[in-house]
Amino acid sequence: MPSLLLLLLLLLLRAVQASLASNGTSVGTELLPGAGLSPLHRPELQSSRSPAEMQTPEGHHGRDTVGFEIVNWQWVHVQGPYLIAVWILVASLAKILFHLSSKVTTVVPESCLLIFLGLGLGGIVLAAAKKPEYQLDPDTFFLFLLPPIVLDSGYFMPSRLFFDNFGAILMYAAIGTLWNSFTTGIALWGIKLAGLMDPKVEADLLDFLLFGSLISAVDPVAVIAVFEEVHVNETLFIIVFGESLLNDAVTVVLYKVFNSFAAIGSENIQALDYVKGVGSIFVVSLGGTAVGIVFAFVLALISRFTKRVRIIEPLFVFLIVYLAHLTAEMVSLSSILAVTFCGLCCKKYVEANISQKSRTTVKYTMKTLASSSETIIFMLLGISAVDTSKWTWDTGLVLFTLLFIFVFRAIGVILQSWILNHFRLVPLDRIDQVVMTYGGLRGAVAFALVILLNDQTVKAKDYFVATTITVIFFTVIIQGLTIKPLVKWLKVKRSDHHKPTLNEELHERAFDHILAAVEDIVGHHGYHYWRDKWEHFDKKYLSQLLMRKSAYRIKDDIWDLYQKLNVRDAISFADQGGHMSSGKFTFASMPSRTSFSETSVTNLLRESGSAVCLDLQVIDTVRSGRDREDTVMHHVLRENLYKPRRRYQGNYSRHFITQGEQERQEREVFQRNMRSRLESFKSTKHNVYSSKNKCRHKKEHKCQKRRNVEGINGQVPNDKLRRNVSWHDTVPVFVEVDSEDEEKDKFTKMKEQEDDEGITFMARTVNENLQERKISGNVEYPQSPSIFPPSPTSAEKELPWKGNQGELTACVSSETNKIVPIDLQYAWKQSMDSLVSPTVSDAVPKTSNFMLAERTTSAVLLVPRHPIHFQFPEACTAAEKSTDEDTMESIQQQELQPLMSAEGDSRQVPAAGLVSTRWPAPFHRPSYVSALRSLVASTQCNMKQSEKSGNVQTNL
Amino acid sequence: MGNKQTIFTAQQLDAYQDCTFFTRKEILRLFHRYRDLAPHLVPLDYKDNPDVTIPYELIGSMPELKDNPFRQRIAEVFSKDNEGNMTLDDFLDMFSVLSEMAPRDLKACYAFKIYDFNNDNFICKSDLEKTLLKLTRNELTPEEVNLVCEKVLDESDLDNDGKLSLEDFQHMIIRAPDFLSTFHIRI
Repeated sequence: MPSLLLLLLLLLLRAVQASLASNGTSVGTELLPGAGLSPLHRPELQSSRSPAEMQTPEGHHGRDTVGFEIVNWQWVHVQGPYLIAVWILVASLAKILFHLSSKVTTVVPESCLLIFLGLGLGGIVLAAAKKPEYQLDPDTFFLFLLPPIVLDSGYFMPSRLFFDNFGAILMYAAIGTLWNSFTTGIALWGIKLAGLMDPKVEADLLDFLLFGSLISAVDPVAVIAVFEEVHVNETLFIIVFGESLLNDAVTVVLYKVFNSFAAIGSENIQALDYVKGVGSIFVVSLGGTAVGIVFAFVLALISRFTKRVRIIEPLFVFLIVYLAHLTAEMVSLSSILAVTFCGLCCKKYVEANISQKSRTTVKYTMKTLASSSETIIFMLLGISAVDTSKWTWDTGLVLFTLLFIFVFRAIGVILQSWILNHFRLVPLDRIDQVVMTYGGLRGAVAFALVILLNDQTVKAKDYFVATTITVIFFTVIIQGLTIKPLVKWLKVKRSDHHKPTLNEELHERAFDHILAAVEDIVGHHGYHYWRDKWEHFDKKYLSQLLMRKSAYRIKDDIWDLYQKLNVRDAISFADQGGHMSSGKFTFASMPSRTSFSETSVTNLLRESGSAVCLDLQVIDTVRSGRDREDTVMHHVLRENLYKPRRRYQGNYSRHFITQGEQERQEREVFQRNMRSRLESFKSTKHNVYSSKNKCRHKKEHKCQKRRNVEGINGQVPNDKLRRNVSWHDTVPVFVEVDSEDEEKDKFTKMKEQEDDEGITFMARTVNENLQERKISGNVEYPQSPSIFPPSPTSAEKELPWKGNQGELTACVSSETNKIVPIDLQYAWKQSMDSLVSPTVSDAVPKTSNFMLAERTTSAVLLVPRHPIHFQFPEACTAAEKSTDEDTMESIQQQELQPLMSAEGDSRQVPAAGLVSTRWPAPFHRPSYVSALRSLVASTQCNMKQSEKSGNVQTNL
Repeated sequence: MGNKQTIFTAQQLDAYQDCTFFTRKEILRLFHRYRDLAPHLVPLDYKDNPDVTIPYELIGSMPELKDNPFRQRIAEVFSKDNEGNMTLDDFLDMFSVLSEMAPRDLKACYAFKIYDFNNDNFICKSDLEKTLLKLTRNELTPEEVNLVCEKVLDESDLDNDGKLSLEDFQHMIIRAPDFLSTFHIRI
């Protein structure tokens, strides 16, 4: 397969040459031998021929073109970018090819394959152009190829893990690298003195130290490429990976110091220079870090104010990080550190500030850039190796280098681990050390550095280049190939992602309390004292400064959980129905304990033998009842377990009582519940609306929040209509958020009813009920707004906060709703109501109303019936742009709903009465029609979704 | 503070070192911590093993501990008289168990003891209920508590006897390797 690619490339080169020749331009002949030259090498060609010159026939090239040319051949004009694009394309295509066979990629790391590809391509280029081209240019590498990779790794670095192991990482990065480079350099020098090396290798101690400094650093690109596929446990990964990132500072400093020493000459070096060299390590590393942090701060601050220009949010992220990189390069600080820390520090704030879509964009762009950079780097490495003109091979040097970097790394790792294990909680055992030793891969950084050497001052540069390339190839290919089997053979702890069991959740919390207690007894500053300190500072000042008000307020782990659940539900929802943008939205349960009685209901039902549909995912992923219950339990625990008192409080004031502390504790659960309740309301809005609408809603958002608070206090704004919301706790709640206004709902509903075939249908469905109930425990049917003067609906009756009614609320699954047609749901609800609670009285009149409506069947629209709440998926978003404002309000109403219902049912009638006066019907006529049209289309697929619906259709 | 040598005799220090996971220095530091709890009760001279206990009332009334649901239980488990009155030995024991050097099984054993409210060497349902209520501050309804306890028992009860033995508990902890790694205090 790669040969195919090569052929392609060859053809391309030939074509270019031929076309240039035929074009007959004066530069054509000059270009011919180097048709594939790197654009970077020939800027003069491009600058000498501006597009204008190309197009005018009277150009100074004296071509006697007659008249106007329809098509111009302008290869030179596009040459540079074109070749770059082709290279990237080739590399990416190669990646596709590699992954065609999964067998190959599981055994051979991608980086190896890319190097081989590069070797092949380099050979072809060499053969075609008679001249080695497209080598890894150090400037290109440091300015363009490296930053995306480092940014990606910094930005997505698990920061908690990173800082937990920061000490170890720092030690390996700083001391380990120093140790490696000095020992390797000195040992090689010793070999040289011992005469085991070719005497032609003209190098003194300084040269070897220089070489040692560049060859000893573990390379981030190679490490990521290989370790990503190995999946060792997180601690091990973060240590090797963090080391490879942070050792950049040391490597760069050592390299620079030795390089300048070599330039000065060893006899001219003064003692002060050594001191300066040592000092520069700190300056370069801390300076780089500082640059990164400053830019991270700027970035976070900027992202706070992008509310109205969401579209360029991702741009800021890349731009500023890149600026950080360039700034660090400019003042010759460690640019890798700058980018790493910039990504690491800004992430939290940026993620909170930018919109969900921007977040996705940032993520994908970053991954794409990093992945393509990596691909190109390895490929170019391969190509560069073909160029034998720079090589001078010396077996002794190569072999001893390989030996020494391995041996000294092993010794270094063992020594440092031994020291670290005195301080580490979880010691690094033998196996970890082996993997760390073995994972010390060298890569493109070393190569770029060795190419940058000045062959005037470093006589043995050619030897060093050859050795470096060999070392890189050896480590990436041999070690990369064998590390996987090694890890398997040594039974290194792999990373595993399991959800905490209930026990863990419970006991961990208990342990936290116990530890807090014991620490308090001694007045001991907790283990995480500084982290707590930092978090406190962050919460109090940084987040306030760098995060949007809204983002900051919803910063809560419960909120995070909901966000996660939200997204998950939405995705599964979309997967099943394909109606992601439909008016409905599911969101995670609200933590209210008062209604938790439903769990016991489900438990009851479960024990009585019928499988109850509890979870949203039940239908597509068949989860056992046990799992579902676990989820529920996790919810309960999460909502109700107390957090231990924050340890930083009172630690330094052991004998003082902070006022209000006790009170705060007592209110904690209450507050948390209320807060998350509010957040869940907001969450519907956050997720339903596209970012474009967001800013417009902001104002309303605010006042709505105020109203929420009022609602809590018992003052319900009564000038708004109410919507029906099925409201549940601890199971994912399904809330119908119709993204069109009330009016249209009514109309469609009416049409639906008109279309109904009638009573025969109802009779049938009752039979099906019995089967249905076995599958899912749908008690309640999500009602779309009815045209009848709303009586208290069952949903409201079963609202959780009416705990005093004590009825047993069962759960709703959107899946169930989907598969059960509307009239089925009515009947079903009836039967279930009679089962579950005696308060069915309200359901009866409703149903009879429904029947009445059915009798007025008209055949105007031959729209097949289908579950009513599924009817305006995309249609509404497309058609109802004009009514967005109204929609907004109705959504707000929905969000307010649960709180309002706490007030009681009495207000419902006047509220609904307002609706009709507010939005006169004719206004929405056109959109309604279009909604119906799409309804016809969407019905077909809806029907297919479940057998039940299928039955219905055939009946029709 | 006085001269360090005057607090303990060399034999005492050796004995303490043998019995705990601490070094001499740490023991002295812990002693001062202990003394800070009740400076009027604890003498600076421990050479003749004075019979000093810090009553639970003193520990339990510490402002930092006021909110901690487990304060009494911890004191009870680690005190010799099981009533929360702590001697220096108890105090050292407590930290020894929670130190990083302590083996996982020991930690698990003590964690188990803390949970085992009725001291019957099993974590039974009533123990779990107590733990849960302590952790949630009586916020859960009885059914919920019941349900959670059942689930927890279900999850880790291997021999199906309806209660967790120490073995069950340890097994559960082994299943989650990082679990107990948090259960430590660095002195």
